[in-house]
Amino acid sequence: MLQPDHAEPGAHGADHAEGGFDAGQVIIDHVTNSSPDHPILHLPAIFGIDFSISKHVFMLLFVATVVFLLITTTVRRYLRQDRLVPGGFMNALEFVVEFIRDSIVLPNVGAKYVRSWAPLVLTFFCFILAANVVGLIPIFEVLGLIDHYVLHTGEHSLVKNVIHGGTTATANFNVTAALATITFFAIIIAGSLAHGFIQHWINLVPHGLAWPVYILLIPIEVMGMFVKPFALTMRLAANMTGGHIAILAILSFVFLFAREFGSALAGIGVGLFVSIPLAVGINGLEIIVVLVQAYVFTLLSAVFIGMAINVHH
Amino acid sequence: MDNALVQPDPGLFFWTIAVFLVLLFLLKRFAWGPLLAALDERQAGIRKSLDDADQARKELEQVREEAEAIIGKARAEADGIISDARADGGQLRDDLRQQAQQQAQAIVENAERQIQQERDRALQQIRQEAVDMSLMIASKLIRRNLTAEDNG
Repeated sequence: MLQPDHAEPGAHGADHAEGGFDAGQVIIDHVTNSSPDHPILHLPAIFGIDFSISKHVFMLLFVATVVFLLITTTVRRYLRQDRLVPGGFMNALEFVVEFIRDSIVLPNVGAKYVRSWAPLVLTFFCFILAANVVGLIPIFEVLGLIDHYVLHTGEHSLVKNVIHGGTTATANFNVTAALATITFFAIIIAGSLAHGFIQHWINLVPHGLAWPVYILLIPIEVMGMFVKPFALTMRLAANMTGGHIAILAILSFVFLFAREFGSALAGIGVGLFVSIPLAVGINGLEIIVVLVQAYVFTLLSAVFIGMAINVHH
Repeated sequence: MDNALVQPDPGLFFWTIAVFLVLLFLLKRFAWGPLLAALDERQAGIRKSLDDADQARKELEQVREEAEAIIGKARAEADGIISDARADGGQLRDDLRQQAQQQAQAIVENAERQIQQERDRALQQIRQEAVDMSLMIASKLIRRNLTAEDNG
């Protein structure tokens, strides 16, 4: 008979078998970055900032590499043809590229700046979507299971370090804050390119109003400048975290019931009839959320960039 | 903050920016740039071929209209020629009939005149002959009278 703690690949059976099952700790372990004390690759700090390759840095590098190779090879193969007939993955990629260019970038930034800003918006979408999707695939949970039953590596081995921590880099608000910071600067650069650096700041508030209005308006607009990326940061991180927490909480029922009723059978029953159907449902929902959040971040970035270019109050 | 969910991590922050900017640069250089250029080119190509097709269709329409105009004109001309010919034919027929009538009349008149002349001549001849005959008779009578008296 399986021990309840081992039945779910995500639960680090070895860590919790003795001290009992702590659902909160397991969930936090699975949605947050790996512990700063045990990064995958320890690097020296620069200016007091720890640049070690943690789980989320590893995921970023992994996702960026996959996205770059996949898109570049597809596009290169497509462009090498004599007659440009898209096929296979290129069909999907072309649909995405044309959709983003014509439905997101073009209406917001205008025809003049499409070629300047389409690459940034496309990269946002592909990178965020890929990071979100990779987070849904339990690669490391499977690796953890293999490690637990087959490899039996030591406490701080490379495999253990890779297993620890959440897989979804975009669920970490440091990552989304960095992405939103790029949007923040993109807005300033877009406004400066379109109107000049000084005029961009003047454009922040509508002109021709009575001066007392500006006392109120300038602080509001300056605040708005920071609220936009802050909202982007929190929306993406929270959405990516939320679904994972829900799935993990539902799967935790298995172990909580097994413990409460003192029988593995109760856990397996709850798992089969409650946890797995619910978790599958939420996973399906997550597929939509993953797409929608990548789309929303992309769309809002394009809207904000467009607002700096086409100023109307 | 000790909540792991909101743990600030400047290293991760800078890693994200670095990774994203490098990815952006590489994708723009190797994928988005060429792809967007190719898509624009294809779009321009499609627009051009559609424009060309439109142009060709317009030209075809124009040619067809011209052809129809030419055919219409030819038909009208043919109709004109036929009606002209018909009118000419009628005219000619009338002329010929009139001419024939005139000729017939002339022939009849001529014949009548000739007949008249012949009759007149015949009458005159008859008259002449009657005169001659009476003269001859008279002279014969006179000659006989003379002889009888001589011999008597």
